[in-house]
Amino acid sequence: MNRINPLYIGALLVMLLMLSLYLLSGAKQSLLEEKESFKQTQKIANELSGLKKTYANQKKSKRSIQRILAQPSLKLAEIKAEYKKSGLKLHSKSIDKRGLDFLMGKLLNASYDIRKLKIKRLGDEQASFELEIKW
Amino acid sequence: MKFNADKRIVFLDPDSDIHVTNDEKIDLVLSPSLYWVQRVKLPIKYVREVRKLLPSLFEDILPKGNYSYSVYKDEIEENTYFIFAYEDKLIIDLASSFGINSSNIASVRFSQSVLSELQTALKINETQSIYVKDGVVTLVPCCWIQESGEIDLQTLKLSKHTLTLAQFGHIVDNSSLYKIAGVMVAFSVLFLSEYFITQQKISTLQTQKNELFSKYKLKPTMFQNNALLKKYKDIHNNQTKLRDQLSKKLKEPKIRLITYKNNQLKVES
Repeated sequence: MNRINPLYIGALLVMLLMLSLYLLSGAKQSLLEEKESFKQTQKIANELSGLKKTYANQKKSKRSIQRILAQPSLKLAEIKAEYKKSGLKLHSKSIDKRGLDFLMGKLLNASYDIRKLKIKRLGDEQASFELEIKW
Repeated sequence: MKFNADKRIVFLDPDSDIHVTNDEKIDLVLSPSLYWVQRVKLPIKYVREVRKLLPSLFEDILPKGNYSYSVYKDEIEENTYFIFAYEDKLIIDLASSFGINSSNIASVRFSQSVLSELQTALKINETQSIYVKDGVVTLVPCCWIQESGEIDLQTLKLSKHTLTLAQFGHIVDNSSLYKIAGVMVAFSVLFLSEYFITQQKISTLQTQKNELFSKYKLKPTMFQNNALLKKYKDIHNNQTKLRDQLSKKLKEPKIRLITYKNNQLKVES
């Protein structure tokens, strides 16, 4: 009676089956988690990349501000620009209505991170102007 | 042929009177009443080929039951075989009824293979004798044979023709067991293959995720990236809010002062 008991072989096969099922279900769970994590990373990466391009693109912001300030309608306003590593300060003691409209239109329609703004009416056609942008 | 000194030889027959101890190892010799035997001449050279034919050779002879089969060559005549049919459960149950555990059974043999060289009839119990007729070991009542001697089991030479009793053969037949085992193995292989494929997919996803990190220059941890995203989302929300509020406030007449600081917009008229 030295034949291997079929129950042992059966038990071994059942264990093999259970083990393979256990491994597979664990792997499937890991795959789901990994897929979710990948999607999440992809979403964050896209959003972050878009927002960074919009609000933290120093070169682009600097160039476009310089272009705006070079416009003839702002010549009279004598806008002073202080470029810093973290941002930019613009101020003018006296800017006319047309120049202010042009400047604010350009700044508000673009995506700059405006941290401070002060516009004070000086007369019917004049105002003082201070603005701080961060990047 | 081998002598057996360590184990006890027991002649198993329903009418035997057998007494064994729990730890005794037993070499069982099956009484002819526990199996069906035929001596057949076949035009077949190999035992393995005969083995395939056994169920059909016994087909019309056996009463209903769950039989196992065995075969060995007759050493005297060429192409002649002794073929056997037996019920495993019947033998195991009978052994068990005498207190012989299957774990204590060292070997099992047909009396055909052990006693085929008997010259005279031998008594195996009070009512029965065995003798060899036409090469086949046969069980007969004692009264049929006048000059029966007593069988001395311990001096028997055990043959090499042993059989293995299938303890569970009566529950499921072998082919079904093989099929079930085959299905289980197939599923295991399938699951394991799927496991390795899944692991491969996980590895690919991890590589792609790492590529995302380097492509978008993300911070090493998602905690940092989430914090950074929150910072930029706050900036975006504040700037959108500023522009919305400004567009509404600028409609007011005679504005004197507009200030925006710490995300607070004030418009004085």
